Amino acid sequence: MEDALKKANAEYADIRIEEIETSSVLFRGEELDSVNSARTVGGIVRALVKGGWGYVVFNEIENLPEKVKQACSAARLVGSGESSFAGTEPVEDAVEAELVKDFRNIPLSEKTDVIEEYNRIILDYDEKVETSVVNYHDSFRKVMLATSEGNFIQDERPDTGVAISATARKGDNVQRGFEGIAGTGGFQVVEGRQKKAEEAAARAVDLLSAPPVTGGTYTVVTNPRLSGVFAHEAFGHLSESDFVYENDRMQEIMVLGKRFGPDHLNIIDDGSKPGLRGTRKYDDEGVRTRKNYLIREGVLTGRLHSRETAAKMNESLTGSARALDYRYKPIVRMNNTYIDSGDSSFEDIIRDIDLGLYTLDMVGGQTAMEMFTFSAAYGYMIRKGKVAELVRDVVLTGNVFETLHAVDMLGDTVEFPAAGGGCGKGGQSPLPVGFGGPFMRIQNVVVGGRQG
Amino acid sequence: MITEQCIEKAMEKAEGAQAYLSRSDQTDVSFENDRLKSVTTSQNTDLHVKVVCGGRIGSSRTTDSGDIDGVVQRALETADFGSPARFEFPPFSEGQDVPVYDEKVLSLTPEAIVEKGRDMLKIVKEYNGDILVDAEGSASRSSIEFANSSGMKYSSETTGFSLYISGQLVRGTDILFAGDWFGWRRHEIDHEKLAENTVRYFTWAEENAEIGSGDMPVIFTPQGMSVLVLALQLGLSGKNVFMGSSPLSGKKGEKIADGRFSMADDPMIKYAPGSSSFDGEGVSRQRLHLIQEGVVSNFIYDLDTAARAGTGSTGHGPGCGFTNMVIGEGNCSFEDMIADTEKGLLVHSVLGLGQGNPISGEFSVNVQLGYVIRNGKIAGRAKNIMLAGNTYEVLKRIDCIGDTAEWTPGGLLTPPVKIEHLSVVAK
Repeated sequence: MEDALKKANAEYADIRIEEIETSSVLFRGEELDSVNSARTVGGIVRALVKGGWGYVVFNEIENLPEKVKQACSAARLVGSGESSFAGTEPVEDAVEAELVKDFRNIPLSEKTDVIEEYNRIILDYDEKVETSVVNYHDSFRKVMLATSEGNFIQDERPDTGVAISATARKGDNVQRGFEGIAGTGGFQVVEGRQKKAEEAAARAVDLLSAPPVTGGTYTVVTNPRLSGVFAHEAFGHLSESDFVYENDRMQEIMVLGKRFGPDHLNIIDDGSKPGLRGTRKYDDEGVRTRKNYLIREGVLTGRLHSRETAAKMNESLTGSARALDYRYKPIVRMNNTYIDSGDSSFEDIIRDIDLGLYTLDMVGGQTAMEMFTFSAAYGYMIRKGKVAELVRDVVLTGNVFETLHAVDMLGDTVEFPAAGGGCGKGGQSPLPVGFGGPFMRIQNVVVGGRQG
Repeated sequence: MITEQCIEKAMEKAEGAQAYLSRSDQTDVSFENDRLKSVTTSQNTDLHVKVVCGGRIGSSRTTDSGDIDGVVQRALETADFGSPARFEFPPFSEGQDVPVYDEKVLSLTPEAIVEKGRDMLKIVKEYNGDILVDAEGSASRSSIEFANSSGMKYSSETTGFSLYISGQLVRGTDILFAGDWFGWRRHEIDHEKLAENTVRYFTWAEENAEIGSGDMPVIFTPQGMSVLVLALQLGLSGKNVFMGSSPLSGKKGEKIADGRFSMADDPMIKYAPGSSSFDGEGVSRQRLHLIQEGVVSNFIYDLDTAARAGTGSTGHGPGCGFTNMVIGEGNCSFEDMIADTEKGLLVHSVLGLGQGNPISGEFSVNVQLGYVIRNGKIAGRAKNIMLAGNTYEVLKRIDCIGDTAEWTPGGLLTPPVKIEHLSVVAK
């Protein structure tokens, strides 16, 4: 790889080669639906000339010098301006995965046994349970990155998870309960999760008799998992500087030092925090990850960068350039995003709410810059300071510039749920990310639903 | 052929086998923030082997088409723990021809695509220089070969070309996105029309307009129809029907929508993105009615699901995926739909679709790009609005169906549709 790069006729070039081994097991209802294994090898070369990029993506790892040449000539076709690209400290490093139980040594039969039990728990939970989907996956990615600056990094990135879904039905009323568990630490992440399967089944059944929430504006309390999604969807995407670096108007909106929320609000993205799903030592441009304050004491203090956006905006590197796999270029992404703790207990947070919503977990979120929307997996009405009846179809929406100011209370403990799922951007989905936060209270949130 | 070698190798131990190999070359040109940003060339290989061994299914895939022994071996290993095979691999069939290859796509060089991108940019920038424009063009060529142990084999060459444009306009803290897309298997795309459509979406949004909350008529543009179609896609999938998780389970022959509403899956549309003669399991494809005059007529099946459900594959394998979904045209022009609306909402794109419980038909989405209609005219952009309802209830409240269907991303060909009333919550 290093030799191929020596001939690069470009201001910068790199080669990233990945070997990916995956296995998956899927149960649907009573049936073992499928068992799969796959082995993927592929790479990407990129070259920068006068601000233009050339990329070459391939499965056949041969004749790398020719591919470098091809990327350089594509970049020359594109480039007509000036490049901005931040350099790094020289680095040669090999990061080995630390797995308690290496899933590559676990036979498929054992993986099947573990999730078959979860599947059984769901199907036997109640006669209203119509069906189940339990999906196990693991992947082990070995990434090699060589840059024309002489950097060479080898990085191992394991990921294991199980997605558990229960469907209950009463006539035309079909409801789902969902639990996801995922992590980087090894096969034990998915073991001993019988309780999660039971919770998924119980939720699907309970939601059958829960009414849809009445649409309107509410005081909303989020549990730690949903607070994390909020940090990611409502604010995190806006701090990805590829939206900002060539956009003067956005730079005016996102000027550092501007107040976005109350003094007690701190939002952080940290790819170096051990044990989380978005944790890695280097990003896909070979930049060290670190703790980045996005909002500190309510004020915009930082944003996430690739080497290109950091140089263009003359700000520090943050370790935020990530690619889903070898088929994709690295783009600015979050790693692990969380809201820092405040000083309230859950009881304090709900005590003076006359009519509100306590919303838990999530089944999805999406954002279009200032507008965001996310769906809680379920919720409870809060009536006269107490958690009351279960409600379904809870979708929260808002405008980030208004909603962050409306965060008026934060719980005293930050939690990072071992949740599955990931983030999508620019056609690269799902990218494993971490979320976290405390209990959080937001005033005046628009909740979708039918009119009461 | 590589797939035949896979079958031969697999049949040393297996009772049945199938192999699918696709190889593709693609060129992507990308403009970001008004500038040409990158050219990408990609070459992808995907070899997928499925075996039936000891009565069980095993499967494996690889990107290394030289590793026949390895991929077959891993497929055989997974069969030890696989699910029981209830289906038979299909025998040879001729299939119906459908054109999916246009030699002229091969002449679309990066330079040629760059030109089209610049033309599109120019049109949007001439309308308003403050709009930041992204654009993409992508030309591809793929070859597919397939073989199974029952004597079915085929190979096909396909091409693809798509163009995309999207603009972003920031006014104060008000951020507006709008754009258009078209993709198919031929080289001709009216790229200027994509840019002109984009300009039209921005023109309509020059002012913001208030609408208030309440039940009101809603018109879905072809792209906006994805809000209603998602539940149908999930509900008509044989997998969900067989599992009982689809609300349409057991409803074949029942009326679930207005009598003017019809939908089909049509893999025989010339040069359409989802068209092909055979599916990925070697089953020949044909046009299939899904909903006819409001009545559920068919579900889609792959080999495995069909065998479990006691029916035949409809050529939607593997995985029960649609080819081209087509909603039948009505007799009402888009202009009349708007002119006949005193107060209502035009919905073009939404945020948050598919969150929650989409298979039930329930949706509750944030209107990302929508317009307020007042006195038969578009009055401006509708902002901070949630739209909620249930697809299955909404399809019974159709006011009229547009007379011109358009392709939307995701292989859906649909006209705009006006609904009598839907719940709108405005902040």
